[in-house]
Amino acid sequence: MRRIRHLLMPAIDRAALREGLRDMSHLAVAISVWGLVTGVAIVNRGMGIPMALFFSLTVFAGTAQLAALPLMAAGAPLAVVWVTATLVNLRFVIFSAASRPHFVHLTVPQRIWAGYLNGDLGFALFSRRFDGYDTTGTPEHYGYFFGTAYVNYFVWHVASVIGIILGDLAPTSWGLEIAATVAMIGVVVPMATRWPIVAGIVVTGVLSVLTLGMPMRLGIVVSVIAGIAVASVAETVAAR
Amino acid sequence: MIAAGFHDAGYMITAVVGLTIVTFVTRSLFFVLPASVRIPPAVERALRFAPACALAAIIAPTMFARQGHVFLSWHNNHLWALLAATAFFVWRRNLMWAMVVAMTVFTVLRLCF
Repeated sequence: MRRIRHLLMPAIDRAALREGLRDMSHLAVAISVWGLVTGVAIVNRGMGIPMALFFSLTVFAGTAQLAALPLMAAGAPLAVVWVTATLVNLRFVIFSAASRPHFVHLTVPQRIWAGYLNGDLGFALFSRRFDGYDTTGTPEHYGYFFGTAYVNYFVWHVASVIGIILGDLAPTSWGLEIAATVAMIGVVVPMATRWPIVAGIVVTGVLSVLTLGMPMRLGIVVSVIAGIAVASVAETVAAR
Repeated sequence: MIAAGFHDAGYMITAVVGLTIVTFVTRSLFFVLPASVRIPPAVERALRFAPACALAAIIAPTMFARQGHVFLSWHNNHLWALLAATAFFVWRRNLMWAMVVAMTVFTVLRLCF
């Protein structure tokens, strides 16, 4: 156990760990709702419980899971499933670039493990906690990081397993999977801060409906590329 | 036959393993890449737009289409439930209550019409 801990985690500051545990605990309700809704949506879509558990416990990326779900249900080509999840997860690439200075001192397994745990909420708390700090990668940073990360990890998995069990009991006619779509809307709306990205979202949405007839669900990839292009051009125009 | 993909164990396991790799790679990419690698500003901008657009491409068909065809109708209960929830979320920024709004609108429409 201790050997695994040293393989995956650097030395941490205990007080910072407790602080991280406490800060993320305040968000436990929000995490639970997300996990619950994701679990319910997965089984309500028709996935069996063993596969649903395997899916939820390993992928550990709620938004990407919800986005991949209808594609997997339709038996879309694996490349389309993976590309869609990657596109949804690209925000994490930006997070990893932003907090890189703190993690480059670690061993490679430690970096990979920290990255895997670095979700939306943890990144937000970590950035806020260490805003304006001169130091990077101290035991205080790691204590706080892993404190928030493990609360998020634990609460998320407990909630999603409960969701998987409850979702299996609820009839599909209740339409509980709608809550999962609302969860995704709750991610998109705060991103729509300026009109270039709003234009990109609208163009992607319209095209994604119009291209549903394209073979192999390629319409998704086509409409996302078009939406990104529109948003990028709009931003260039707006910046002039 | 809505969930044809779910009944193919080989497909599912491959998909899930691939998605797990996607999580690992996207989340730890810049923790692992050498420090000399930097994101050009134009690429970073595209990266910032991609998640919102990808989610729009998943959300829009669940609102405006049914079984692969455009479905704009008074009988599209999903559409009204999700429009109500979106409006509520833009107004109050409360996800849990937005879910309650969506489920209430959907259930009322389903039972009454």
